[in-house]
This record gives sequence, structure tokens and C-alpha cells, in this order.
Amino acid sequence: MTPLLNVNNIGIAFGGLRAVDGLSLQLEPGDLQGLIGPNGAGKTTCFNLLTGVYRPDTGDVRLSGECLLGLRAHQITRAGLARTFQNVRLFPHLSVVDNLKVACHLRTGQTLAGAIFRSAFSRREEQSIDHKCRDLLDRFGLLARADEAASGLAYGDQRRLEIARALATDPKILLLDEPAAGMNPQEKVELKSLIAKVLADFPVAILLIEHDMDVVMGLCRQITVVDHGCVIATGAPAEIQRDPKVIEAYLGVPEETSA
Amino acid sequence: MPLLMPRWVAPILIVAFAVGLQWVARPLLGQYAERVAMDAGIAVVLAVSLNIVNGYTGQFSIGHAAFFAIGAYTAGAVTYYASLLIWNSPVAMGLWSSQSVIFIAATILGGLVAAAAGWLIGLPSLRLRGDYLAIVTLGFGEILRVLLQQTNKQLYTREELHAAKLGELIPPPIGGSLGFINVPKVANLFWVGLFVGITLLVAWRLKKSTFGRSMIAIRENEIAAESMGVNVTRLKVWAFVFAAFFAGVAGSLYAHEVQLTPQDAGFLRSFDVVIMVVLGGLGSITGATLAAALVTVAGEWLREPTHVWHLFGLIAIIRILFWPTGRLKAAIWWAGLIALVEGVRSLAIHYQVDLGEYRMIVFALVLILTMILRPGGLMGTHEITDALRLRNPKRAPTGGAAAGEPTEVPA
Repeated sequence: MTPLLNVNNIGIAFGGLRAVDGLSLQLEPGDLQGLIGPNGAGKTTCFNLLTGVYRPDTGDVRLSGECLLGLRAHQITRAGLARTFQNVRLFPHLSVVDNLKVACHLRTGQTLAGAIFRSAFSRREEQSIDHKCRDLLDRFGLLARADEAASGLAYGDQRRLEIARALATDPKILLLDEPAAGMNPQEKVELKSLIAKVLADFPVAILLIEHDMDVVMGLCRQITVVDHGCVIATGAPAEIQRDPKVIEAYLGVPEETSA
Repeated sequence: MPLLMPRWVAPILIVAFAVGLQWVARPLLGQYAERVAMDAGIAVVLAVSLNIVNGYTGQFSIGHAAFFAIGAYTAGAVTYYASLLIWNSPVAMGLWSSQSVIFIAATILGGLVAAAAGWLIGLPSLRLRGDYLAIVTLGFGEILRVLLQQTNKQLYTREELHAAKLGELIPPPIGGSLGFINVPKVANLFWVGLFVGITLLVAWRLKKSTFGRSMIAIRENEIAAESMGVNVTRLKVWAFVFAAFFAGVAGSLYAHEVQLTPQDAGFLRSFDVVIMVVLGGLGSITGATLAAALVTVAGEWLREPTHVWHLFGLIAIIRILFWPTGRLKAAIWWAGLIALVEGVRSLAIHYQVDLGEYRMIVFALVLILTMILRPGGLMGTHEITDALRLRNPKRAPTGGAAAGEPTEVPA
């Protein structure tokens, strides 16, 4: 059986720097995997390769067997790969609910003429989009603030809204880039239960980049560790924690052995 | 949800507005005020259409006059030469003549030709942003201005037209640098009102549609918009096409009001429109409309020195009404400003200086002050309907009063 997401040996070089080199991973439906590694290891670059921001030099990416290489970012999102960003990238002047509605645009059946003339179809679809988005906000506890500007939300809420927005694209795979970054301990606890809830409520698999080991180890079933663009370990959280290469990557080599 | 009227209400209101302008307001206005009102209407169409590019998608086009001129020359040439061929005279006929049909067709054609040019200019916008795109649009306007100067001389009679050789028709006989004159002056307040209404309605519905939302998302964060599945390149080009179409329509109205010169494609006019959009607030249709009307009317009005302070008063009222926070502060600011202007005016009268001659300075000062006091423009990103929504505390467009949060204290 083909995995839902099959990343096979992808790599990209920027000049002489091989930012990602031969990275492979598989995601099954309902999976929750972590992608960790020290700063500059190539984690976000990997996300950028998956989502079409960069095009890999080598390897290929298949979603349900279909090749995603060469598609542009918005086409990849339509194919079912949605992401959040390391630094929050909401639409600050749009209302909270409109942030989600933008994410519904890719599945619209409306035409420009239909929208201008407010055809029956357009009005019906707008209404169902509105319902869908408010329902999604309700699940994320943001419904009360649906009509406020997104920039007015607290930081933790903005992070949650970003996840909700990615889900509004009806993805098969959700890529979360450091969702816990900048969160306080309380918010991290809430985030963990939120991610577990997303996995239970939506038909998605999640790939998570995270520095916070508490979040990663508590949530993920499988973890891939990258360093200098290469996968150095793959396995369950407990194995990863014992892996000498991982410890080396994070803590460095003791001086006497490196000399 | 915004105010939802049945969708046929707006078109009826537009027609009523146009009829009201022509047959109720015009007799009261007099010829001079009528012309000013028409110019203001044309400016509104231009500003609201440029707002689709600069305000919705956040691109920076400073070549809007090019589309305006394309529409103006195309529509003007169609009506002029059609009238020459059919009636052997370019004299304007009444509203109920068959010439109006030609005018409508010419206007739509002018819009479409401009839209095609907008599509062409929209293409580089796929690769360029910010200043680079601005330079391309500016260059386009200047190229067009020079091209228009190289066109053939105008043909004044049907006989000349029949006798014309191919070399006199290509490039088109639209007057070159001498300008294009004698286009039937069929534009009136009815047509201007009608097209203003249509432009506002289309701009509004576009903004409130899934396409407009996505355009604004591009302005807000292009990378995030693309990642959320918005086809950024396609919508950017569509924004140019829409904007160019209505600029072409505005051009057609203008062509049937006054005579054309190649300068109409130049950057001075483009800048006027950019000023209106920035002054009104990027993305705000209400703002663009108010600013376009204000700038046009004020430019004429300020010829009369006593009108200077009326202008400040008007802006003050609008600003105080539509600025949700800090109304008291705003009122004090503007009271001080009005006092200052009033003081200058008294001094000018005392020393017998004609302030009307300094109106462009006053005008520039207003712009500078607005940018300092309210860098987001008169309306910011708000619309007039936001003021209505304020009555419902749960529907506050920004800031805290909803959901039991402490209200923000203006600094």
C-alpha cells in the first residue's frame, strides 16, 4: 500500500550548501510525526520543499501516490498539504472569520461573474463557507472573536487561528512549523490537547516541527531527527532520546573524542 | 455578515441616483458646478478602480492614467468617427438619441481595450513587486503618452475620412500631440452617476466576495495567501484587469466631456489618482470615494479663499465621525487646525492677500497634515458600513470591547 505522504530522498542545495540532503519520510493517515533537529538543520527548508516554496533538486514527493513536484504552492495546498508558519503569518487586517474564509477560496466553485452578480450559487456557497468557518472557530474556541481583526488576538490565539486556517483548506496533511514557539507553559499544555483534538476530529495526518521536547515527545508517535540536512535518526520518542547520534547533534561531541 | 439587501436593490438605487443627479440636482447646480460634479464623478471611478490594485492586492501601480487614456481615446474615437460617418457631424445629440447607444458601446469598448492593456501590464506584476512594479507602470504611462503624440492628425469631415489613405488611418487619426477635439459632448450627470454607481457596486461586491477577500489576503501576507491555496498570480492580474476596465470607462466619460491630449496618459494624472487612494485609505471604497470627490471639488472650491476653512471643517467632521477611537483628541486637533486656518485667513484679508492663488499650497498642506495625523488615510481600512456595525458591540471591527476585554485606551 502506498503511504499517504511519501517523501523520497529529497534534497536541495543553495550554492555549495546542501540544506536538505536525501531526506525521506512516510506519513500514514492519522499519523502524528515529529521533525526535530538543531537550529539550521533544514527542518523549515524541508517544509518549504514539501509545500512548493522551493523545488527539490533531487528526490520526489508523493501525496496518495500523486507526484507533487513542480506544482506551485497554491496547487500543493489544493492537493491537500496545508501548513502553518514558524513566525505567525495571519492576515492581520482581515477579521478572524475572514482569515478562515480566505482558506476556503481554493475549493470555491464560484466564478468572478457569479460573485459580482451575486448569483444564487455564489450566495449559497458564501453562506455555507460562513457556516463552515464559524463552526471551525467554535471548535477552536475563537467564535466569540470571529468578527474582530485578527491582529487583535492574543499571541496564543493567533497561533491557534493559524492552525484553524490551515484546516479550513480541507487538508489531508497538516504541516505545523513550531506551533509552540513563543508560547508560555500554560499555552503549551493547551496546544498539546488542541493538536490531539485536531487529530481525533479531522481526517488529517500531522507533521510537526518543534523545538519544545516536552511537546514533541508527548505527542508524536514517530520522530525524524535531521542535522545538516540529513536524517540522523528515526524512531519512537523513547528510542530517539537514547540515540547517541541525536545526543551528539544536540549536545555536541565531548572534547576528548573530537580532538 | 454585512448588510444583505436583495441584490436588485442596489441597481435600482444606482439608476435612481443617476436620474436624481441629472434631473433634480443639475437644475439646481448651474453649469460650473455641474462640470465640477462630473469631474468629481470621473475621479471617483478612477480612484475606486485604482483601489482594486493598490488597495485590495497591495500592489503599487502609478500608471493608472494610461488605462484612463486608452479608454478615453478608444471611446472618443469610436463616437467621433461613428457620428461623422452616420450623421456627417460630431455634434452632440440628446440623451434619447441613437448617439447614446453608440456612446454606451464606445464606453464599454474603451473599458475592454483598457482591460486588455491592464492584462498585459498585469503580467509583469507576477514577477515584480513594490517599487519595481511602480516603475513599470509609470513607464507604461509615459510610453503611451509618447505613442499618442505620434498618432495621425485628426480628420474633421466625412469626406476626409472617405478619402483617407491607409497611412493616414494607421496609426489612428486621433490628433497626435495637438490633441483630439470635437468628440460629441454627450457625457452628462446621468451617465457619470450611472457609471459611478456601477463602479462602486462592482468594487464593493468584488471586495466582499471570496475573490476580493483573497486579493486582500495577498496584500496582508502574500506568502501566507499563496500557502492557503490562493492563486496569487491570477488574482493580481485580475485586479489589474478590473481596475483598467473602470479606468477606461472613466476615460470614456472624460473624452465625451472635454478634449483629450496625450498628457492625459501622463504621470501627473496618475499621481492625482494615487493621492486620492492613499488619502482615502488603502482598500477602503468609502475612503477612495470621499477622497476623490474631496480632492476634485476642493481643487475648484479653494479658488474662493473663504472656502478654505469649510474644507477643514468638512474633513474634521468626517474624521471625527468615522474614527472609532480618540474622538475627543481628534476634535481638539481639528479645532486647533481650524483656528489656525481661520487666523491665516483673517491675516490674509487684513493684508489683502488673495489666498485663492495659494490654493495648491493649502491643498498640499492638507495632504501632508493628513498623512501625519492619519497615515492610514481618512478611512484606514474601514468602510462606511463599519460605522453601522459599531452599534452592535459584538460586531466591532477592531479592538477590544467585545468578549469582555478591557477597551483599548488611545495613547
